[in-house]
This record gives sequence, structure tokens and C-alpha cells, in this order.
Amino acid sequence: MRKYLFFGLLLATTICGKTFAQNDYPTLSQVAQRIQKLSTDPAVELKTLTKTAGGKEIYALKIGTGDKDQKPAIAVVGGVEGFHVLSVELALQFAEKLVGEHSEALTSTTFYVFPNLSPDAYAQYHAALKYERRGNAVAVDHDRDGAPGDNGYSDLNGDGLITWMRVTDPMGDWTTSKEDPRVLVKADRSKGEAGKYQVYKESVDNDKDGKFAEDLNEGIAFNKSLTYKFPVFEPLAGDIAVSQLESRALLDYLFEQWNIFAFVTFSPANNLSTPLKYSAGDARKRVVTSILEKDQVSQAMVSDMYTKTISAKAFQQTNQGTNGDFFQWAYFHFARFSFSTPGYWTPEFKGKTNAEANFLAWSDSLKQDSFVPWTLVNHPDFPNQQVEVGGIKPFVSTNPPFEKVDEIAKQHTDFILKLAGMQPKLEFHNLKTEALGNGLTRISVDLFNNSPLPTHSEMGARSRWLRKLRVDVAVPSESLISGEKINLITSLGAFEKTKMSWLVKGKGNITIKAGAPHAGFVSQTVTF
Amino acid sequence: MNIKQTLTALALGALAFSSFDLSAQQENYFRAIGTPHKPKVEIAWNRYYSSEGLWDWMKKIAQAHPNLAKIESIGKSVEGRDILTITITDFSTGKDTDKPAMWIDGNIHSNEIQGGEFSLYAAWYLTEMHADNQFIKQLLKDKTFYITPTINPDARNNFFKEPNTASSPRSGMLVLDNDGDGENGEDRMDDLDGDGHITMMIRKSSTGRFIKDPLDPRRLMQVGPDQVGEYEMLGQEGIDNDGDGQVNEDGIGYYDPNRDWGWNWQPDYIQRGALKYPFTLPENRAVMEFVMKHPNIAGAQSFHNSGGMILRGPGAEEDVNTYNREDIRIYDAIGKIGEEMIPGYRYLTVYKDLYSVFGGELDWFYGNRGIFTYSNELMVSYLYFNKQAGRGNQEEQLKVDELLTFGDAFVNYKEFKHPQFGMVEIGGFKKTFGRAHPGFLLEQDAHRNVAFTLYHAYHTPKLSITEVNEVDLGGGLKEVTATIFNERMVPTHASQDLKYQIERPDYVTISGAKVVAGFVVTDEDMKKYTEQIASPEKIAVANIPGMGAVKVRWIVSSTQNMRITVDSAKGGKASWKK
Repeated sequence: MRKYLFFGLLLATTICGKTFAQNDYPTLSQVAQRIQKLSTDPAVELKTLTKTAGGKEIYALKIGTGDKDQKPAIAVVGGVEGFHVLSVELALQFAEKLVGEHSEALTSTTFYVFPNLSPDAYAQYHAALKYERRGNAVAVDHDRDGAPGDNGYSDLNGDGLITWMRVTDPMGDWTTSKEDPRVLVKADRSKGEAGKYQVYKESVDNDKDGKFAEDLNEGIAFNKSLTYKFPVFEPLAGDIAVSQLESRALLDYLFEQWNIFAFVTFSPANNLSTPLKYSAGDARKRVVTSILEKDQVSQAMVSDMYTKTISAKAFQQTNQGTNGDFFQWAYFHFARFSFSTPGYWTPEFKGKTNAEANFLAWSDSLKQDSFVPWTLVNHPDFPNQQVEVGGIKPFVSTNPPFEKVDEIAKQHTDFILKLAGMQPKLEFHNLKTEALGNGLTRISVDLFNNSPLPTHSEMGARSRWLRKLRVDVAVPSESLISGEKINLITSLGAFEKTKMSWLVKGKGNITIKAGAPHAGFVSQTVTF
Repeated sequence: MNIKQTLTALALGALAFSSFDLSAQQENYFRAIGTPHKPKVEIAWNRYYSSEGLWDWMKKIAQAHPNLAKIESIGKSVEGRDILTITITDFSTGKDTDKPAMWIDGNIHSNEIQGGEFSLYAAWYLTEMHADNQFIKQLLKDKTFYITPTINPDARNNFFKEPNTASSPRSGMLVLDNDGDGENGEDRMDDLDGDGHITMMIRKSSTGRFIKDPLDPRRLMQVGPDQVGEYEMLGQEGIDNDGDGQVNEDGIGYYDPNRDWGWNWQPDYIQRGALKYPFTLPENRAVMEFVMKHPNIAGAQSFHNSGGMILRGPGAEEDVNTYNREDIRIYDAIGKIGEEMIPGYRYLTVYKDLYSVFGGELDWFYGNRGIFTYSNELMVSYLYFNKQAGRGNQEEQLKVDELLTFGDAFVNYKEFKHPQFGMVEIGGFKKTFGRAHPGFLLEQDAHRNVAFTLYHAYHTPKLSITEVNEVDLGGGLKEVTATIFNERMVPTHASQDLKYQIERPDYVTISGAKVVAGFVVTDEDMKKYTEQIASPEKIAVANIPGMGAVKVRWIVSSTQNMRITVDSAKGGKASWKK
């Protein structure tokens, strides 16, 4: 016992030591090192799905024991947005904590971890010029003028950050916020308010078309290019959904993993603080755009569990999905339970209603340096006007200071493990053999889903990409007098059962096996 | 004379004789109007070809006409076959990519075979007619044709070489789990009588509701509600291979290659037959990538069967607003001519006249690329007796097989000992009847459909600079106004293209002049102009409408060897020189 305790302490110190050594979000090569280290654990299977146009690996970790593909699985996804560097760390730490501290969860559940789907964009966090990037490394003509990427950002004040620029102009739409003079808001014309500024991202009109930063020097955004509500022809989305190496490689892989029953995505969208709302009208249309009625119930239950597990209180969490994003795809087109959370948001502070003013007040209270003060610059496109560069620094409003990540990761690991505890669970009950005389026996049994979640989401029951529950009886065909040798069941609801029976002749054994990869399998042998 | 010399002499003699025979014979050939005479490549148009068979002809065409035709592989099929495209244009008058082009493909549904032969006919006709026909000559000067007779080569071969019905396989050769039991393709159709056709199984039964027509044993008749029958229907030829109590429920993939295209794509639970995401299939992906690399494609035809239809989009009702009035006018003008050219064919809109589907090829071509596209559903029963008896009319088909094909289309019922059903009878129409043309109707219908497609291609844009006016403005300035005319119906940018800026604008560029300012003329008489401040020597024009003109105007301070060029992705190039 003492020996184990000592070993455990040693392990804990190693892990903690590792974490404390880091004081900022990891670089891609640090991420790769941690993934390699994880892969030395026998429960971890590491696969490189592809390399992006920027030459960066897309990793998949499959974590489990025994017959991994036959146990229900949760997929944990990070880096669907390149600027959301926190999400990569959360996915990675989940994998590390799972393997290091919670390996008992692998007895009944398999986990997939996709730590980073936007490595090309992620790299911008550590680049000399830092900005919140979404697109990968392919050349794309976002403004469709025939020349790709010909009007990106320009670092006008030379601080290595892309922020904003404001041009003093009585015809501008913007003015300063009453909650914080550093913050710009649209002038309220309905109250007769005049504007003071034009506002653009920090840039120069390189292609001389009168627009600023409209043809970014980055490619397709992973989280804007999937098939659900694909925003065709929009900047960062492109012409065709799932057109990129990384999106195709991920989907090709996912379509071969039949055991995933739920996704947890760390992304700006949030359907965990508040669940998605069901709309009967939108759910009935041929192209479904509302969560289905039964799935709303399941989702509300998980959301409730989330808010009890996570200490941060929701504030201004209004993003419940954007067109072409991943988390909605996982539900609406891949038909799995799908949950997304940013993991972190600015808490409500001093009653500020403007999100930026709230953020700055909170950040100031922590003595953080989150703002680039508005400073005059010379701008070639506005030779006779006053142009100032400034604003909230990139990354700081969506990613907390790194020392906060540990606690967030711990709570979210708890959440994912609790979700695993809710997974579909098939059991046999009331197994009976009745002798009917003359060597004839009736065998009957109830197949029960002992879980608060159904075996198939309501959407999943419609999809070919979730297998039905299959019940096989292994018995010599001459012994089977009635009852199906193979029976397919579309779905079993939360705590729902179904009765099955067979008539067999003579003496022997019958083995009944039921299940599906995403719901697990049960098997029982009876002698008759 | 040694043995070797003797042999040579004999061989030469034989050669002389055979060529003598040939020329003597050809004097007895007379030119039929509208058909290539003495073609370099002789193709029989009254039979069908496997994928390799089609490609063999394409290679022969390219070898015989090196200045008009080139072959390339645009990608690989699921089973690793090269998908071959033949490019046809008069290469001596410019690169294929500099001319407005027509895309033609066939056989996306593997059982819809004759699209392959019809596409091949187009390639053959254009190359073999070129020497003798002024219209074709000019057409190949102006246009390019990219022809891919089969974009589903694996399953085309499966249709011919393996037992099938007239409707199978519709997919390619990906084997998937059709019945959701976790196994792929474990209960396919079984050719019990070994004749290469999957026909019907019937069985004598005291509770059956059918009898065989005493006057025609091929015909099963339903008995009246108060009558006793003799036969029951058991469905298509097959056995329950996996013991799940169902017959033939898991064949090759359930998917439909024509639900795989990236315009308003929807997943399988909404649109049955869709796969994982747009262009999951390598065959379709190859076409998509080719089209993306050839923005000069302005028109497209995708041959299907059957029913005698010239179809346009939208495929899905939800897409009605994609097609607006200006474009529909052009679609209608070409489509209605098609109805006259191809007897028995009707010009229809997919979503309202056929069915409402997402992810179809023609919607991608138009919605995503702004290409005017039709899909012809080849073969209509009207061709049998010049009557509209309706699609799949059994009475008519029995009569056709009696009077026109002399029993060749039908497998007569024969007894077979079935392992699960006991004694059954197997028989019915062959896979190559009904949807496919009988041999004697192939060439005519191929010609008419290709003629329609050439008409469509003819109406892709043709640009010319018809007028250049110079006016002295004094003070060393001069105004130069150029008129660019599109001599055909199809605009350089479909309205869908304009709405989303799919293709870059057309550029009108002046050289040999010092440009002070440049404009697009919006109303010449009222002197309304839109100035382009950046790079005024290269004026961007959003669109050059069909049978319409655009004017651009420059103010220049000096000129020397002035030259004006037009460069349009879908409209080709034109130039004017002083």
C-alpha cells in the first residue's frame, strides 16, 4: 500500500511539475511532444490523420482498453477555431488527466481526442505578428476579385499585434461607449446620436478596392466549412463544404468509428450553459434546423449536469452555433449527441452591459495588460485624416491567462467523465425458459437500456451512420421453431425495455447477443 | 526466289488485293446527309461498349485526329480505373482553355448506360465531320468540348458483366451496409438461372392472386377480387443469404452518385442516397476538380436515362430562388428547341416535374459554377410506335418484343428449385431492355441528342469587339469607346454567378495608350458612365449579356499602336488592333 502511495505521489509530482513549468499556451511542437508522450501509454492509440496545407499534423487519439471499438465512445474536440488556443489545451489536458488519473473510466467507455483541427491558424498565436486567425494555409480569394489573399492585415503601429483602427470622421458610424471611453460602439441613430469614427481592422487597402482586410492572407476556417448550413461563397468558407485536407481526413475517420455516441467540442459555441431550443416548425421541415423534441430533453439533462459541475456562471453566452460549424454538424449531420462549450468566458463584472467594457473592467481589476491604447499613425489611405490604432489585444477575451487553465480543465474533465457515466447501457432482465412439452421451450428476455440517455438520439435513429441495435441468437437452425435469428431494433429510449422471445426444440444452448458499437453489447447463454 | 522473298511477295500481293477490294467497295458507298462519310474511325452504333470499350474508341479517335482531339485521365474510380476525358477543339486556332467550353458526361448512374455511347457519338461526330462541314469547322474554331463518356466506369462494367436488373446497380462499386445490420453487401441478388439477368420469381400457390394469361404466358394477370388465382409473386431473383428473413436486402451500396454534389448538399436522412459530404466519391471529385480548373466551361450536359426528358434545375424545391428569370429565359429558349429536335422528349424542370432532390450534378454545375446545364433522360417509349404509352408500360413492351425484337428482350418463365421457396419459376424482361435503347434505335437518338447538345454549345458566349470610336476632346485628350458584343444567347456570367461573384469579371484592356481615366458606359446617349479609379487601363466588366453588348470608354492622352483585348473566363478572348 505504502509503495503505491509513494508511486502515486511521484506520478502526481511529475504531472504537476510539468504543468507548472508551462506559463503560456503551448507551441505546436510542445503540443506534439505531449501527444507523443501520451501515446506511450498502452491505452492510447495515436494516429496522424493528415497534414494540412501548411504541413502541420492533424492528430487523433483513441483511448481505451480491451475491445475499444465495441464500447460506447465520446469524442473530445479542440482547435476547431485557431484563435481559441484554450480549446487545444483543454482537449489535451483531458487526455492527460484521463490516462493519468481516471483510467478506470476506460473499462466501460472509449474516448477519442482530436486536440487541434486548425494548427495552421493556431500557429499565429506564437508568430511574430499575432492575430486571431481562423483560416488554414491554402490560398483563397475571399473577396472573389480574381486575386487570392490580396488584402490582409497590416501592423500599422508595429507592435506585433493586429488590433483595430479608427478614422476620425463626422460621417462615421461609430462613437465611444459611455461605459468605457476606450470601447467603440455604433452610434445610436434612433436617439439622434452622431458618429465620430469609421472603424476597420488594422490594415491598408492593398488592392485599392475601397475595402479593408476583406481578402485575408489565410485560407479556409475549419469551423465555417462543414456541411450544416454551409455558408457557400462567404469569406473563410469557400465554394464547397468539407473541401480541405483536414476536414475530409477527420470526417473520413469519424465515419469509420461506429462507437461514438457523443461529442464534446471546445469552441466558441455554447449549448451547455443553456440547451438548444426545440422549434416544432423547424424540426418538421425537410431540411431540419431545430433540435428534435426528444433530443432536447436529453440535452437539457446534460446541460443541467454541466452547470452543476462547472463553477463559472454563464454570462452573455449567446452563441449557440454558427453556419458551417463543427458542433452543429456533429448533431444535425452526424446525428450524435453534440455538446459545445468555450470552456471560459468573462464573468459579469460591475454591471457592465457592453461585452468589451465588461471585459476591460474585469481585466483591469486583475491588473492585466489587455488593451492597446489608441495611438496616432500615418495611414496611406487616409492622408488627411486622423487615424488611431488600438483596442483589445488579440486572444485575451477568448482565452484566459494560462494559470487559470488547470482548474478549467479539471472541471471539464469531471464533466466529460460524468457524461460517460450516462452512456447507453444494455442489460438483459427477466430471462425465462418455459417448457411447453414435447421438447419445445419458450425462451424470453427483456432487453433494457439502463441509462438516462436513449441508445440513439432521435436524430441518430434517422441516420444510416449509427448502427441499429442488432440481436443475434446463436442456435442450430433446425432447433429454432419461431423467433428471429437476426433482429434489428431502431432505438431504445432512456430506461426503455423491449421483450423478445423464441421457441426452440430439443436440448442445447442458445446464446443471445444484443447491441451496437455506440451502445455497447451484452450477451447471455441459456441452456434448454 | 528464296522462301523469305516468296513470303514477302505473297504478303504484298495480298495487300494489293485487299486494298483493291476496299476501293472497289467504297465506290459503292454514297454519302448520306448529316453523317460522316468514310470516317477514319468506324464505330458500330447499334451496340453497347464496356468502359474499356468506350476508352478504346476514344483513343482511336484521338490517334486519327491529333489536331482535334486529346485524351487525358482526370482521376481514378473507386476500383482504380482511370477516368478518361477527350478534349475536342481545333487546336490550331488556340488553346482549349482560351475558348468557351461545353462539358459532356454520361453514365453517372451505372445502369443508365447509353449516356456513354451518346457522349462517344459526340466526340466521333465532331472529329469525323470536321473536314467536310463548315458549321462543325467553325464550332471547333470557337469552342472546346470536354467529353467524359462514363463517370462511373466500375459499375458500368458491373452492369454488363454481372447479373443485374435494368435498374441495378445505380451506384458505383462502394459496398456499404444497406440494411443497417453492421455488415456490408452480405445479401446481394443471385442469378439463379445463370443467364446474366436478374428477373422475377413466381410460384404456384393455391392462395396466389395472379394467373398467366392463357393467350400470352409471359404476362401475369391479377385475378378479380372474387376469383381464385394460381401464382404468387416472390420478387426479384435471389435467396436469403444471411438468414435474416429477407431476400436481396443488402446489395452493392445504396448510395446515389447524383446526390453527392456540393450545392445545397444534404445528408442521407434528408436526401436518401447521399454519402458523407459533397464529393465523397472519387469519380465525382475528379469531375469537380476538372471543372474548377477549367473556368472556360460555360455549358454542360449530363446524359441519364430514361423517359425522354430535357431537364433543367432546380433539383430541389428549396432552390427555386437560385434560378432567376433572365437565366430561365435562356434555359427555355434552348430547351424548347430541344423538344423539336428530339421527338418524344419533353423539356422539364427537375423539382416540379420529376422529384425534388438535393446534391444533384446539374444543380452543382449551375448553382456553384454558374454553368448552364441540362440533363437529358435518354430513351423514351415513344420511339417504339410513335405513341406516348408511358414509361415502363408492360403491354407496350410485350408488343415491342413480339413485333420488333422477336422475343430477344424476354426470358421465358422456367422452373427452378429454390433452396428457400421450393419450386419457383424465373423469368421476365432482360436488364438491357426498357431503359436502354434496342440496337436499331441507338444511332438516331444519339444523333438527335448530340445535335441538341451542339446547339447548346453553339450558344455559349462568342465575343467580338465590333466598334471602336475615337473622339478628340481637345487639350491633347482623346476619348476611346469600344463596343464588345456577345453574338450568342448565353451570357458570360449567369445571374447566379453575378449574385455570388462566382467567376471573376471580364476584363477589357487597352494598350498602346496613355490612360487618364476609364469607365464602363451605362448609357451612352445620356452620357452616363461608371468610373474605375484603380487600374483604369484594365476595365472590369461584370457581365456581357447574351445577344447583347457592353461599352467601355477611356480618356487617353496619347496613343501608339493602340490595341484592345477582351478576356473573359467563360466568354473566351477577343481583340482589336488599330
